[in-house]
Amino acid sequence: MEELDLLKKDWKKNENSFRQVSENEIYKMIHRNSSSVVKWIMIIGIIEFLFWIGINLISNSDDYFKNLNAGNILLYMKIFGYVNSAIIIFFIYQFYKNYVVISTTDSTRTLMKNILKTRKTVNTYVWYNLIVVFLSFVTGILLAYFCNPEIAPMRDKIEHGGTAMALGFIGGSLFILAILITLVWLFYKLLYGFLMRKLQRNYQELKKIDL
Amino acid sequence: MNQDLEQSFVKQLKENQNIIHKICRLYTSGEDAHKDLFQEITIQLWKAFPKFRGDSKFTTWAYRVALNTAITLYRKSTRSISTMEFDNTKHFIKQEDYNYEEEEQLKLMYQAVYQLNDIEKALIFMYLEDKDYEEISETLGISEVNARVKMNRIKGKLRKILNP
Repeated sequence: MEELDLLKKDWKKNENSFRQVSENEIYKMIHRNSSSVVKWIMIIGIIEFLFWIGINLISNSDDYFKNLNAGNILLYMKIFGYVNSAIIIFFIYQFYKNYVVISTTDSTRTLMKNILKTRKTVNTYVWYNLIVVFLSFVTGILLAYFCNPEIAPMRDKIEHGGTAMALGFIGGSLFILAILITLVWLFYKLLYGFLMRKLQRNYQELKKIDL
Repeated sequence: MNQDLEQSFVKQLKENQNIIHKICRLYTSGEDAHKDLFQEITIQLWKAFPKFRGDSKFTTWAYRVALNTAITLYRKSTRSISTMEFDNTKHFIKQEDYNYEEEEQLKLMYQAVYQLNDIEKALIFMYLEDKDYEEISETLGISEVNARVKMNRIKGKLRKILNP
């Protein structure tokens, strides 16, 4: 292709036309902070881990449960607490493992794949926590409804109000939950859409070439 | 020891900085963006430098890290085309061999290249740098055959942009 040859000729001719950066400037540059996508994914990932660990710690409500007439359920919840901690540690390990693998000396495709994998770990972690929040919410309501002596008068009211009242109660609770989950989802779409759009697009482009 | 490493890195980078400049030229428009990407590539090269063992040439290694940074790590979008870069091509033509028709054609050519996506730019870049398909396929992580096929498609695409 004639035009491409022309371009190549021009490209070579102008190889040395750039303003040269001095050694001093390079020294300064390597001591500055990177603003790469990977760095931001790492920072946001760590914040997410801390956030959900914080939520887990805050929602530790042993005293409240002691006042319920829940019997064995308390034991189950304790077991679940341990399992939950183990799962979170597993996620953190995965995140770390994926992160250290990321290297700019890999091929472009491998690099992108590794970044996306790191991101996926955190996404799964967030979804896991949302599901836990959902289950805790439902369990919490059921426990409060059936086992909390303080709520007994309200229970009476609902039970005598018929199915409509009961449905209203359940519907209302689920509605609040749905709004919360949608908000979290939107937040993630925005946050990572901003960070990952270019990377995703380029990864798809590469994959398309190698189908 | 760390100082030695730093010194050796700075020296080699200074000697080979045109590689980075060329990538910045292809992937950014405007002086600020050029500087910004140049800095990010330098940081990434420095971060990867301890792993550089000298079993490949510094330039081969630098090509890969620099391209990866431009395509993958650099956050700013490279799609927008400003009028800046069109003018940029002007001062690349030296006075002595001024040829109006050639200049027009080159200008169109640069415009067409800027319209390509990030991956296509990478292929064109390596073509302009006389890299063989083996290196292209290794750098991008695609097969040699597919790199060839893609390169031909890009040539077709450029032709189409030039002669609609």
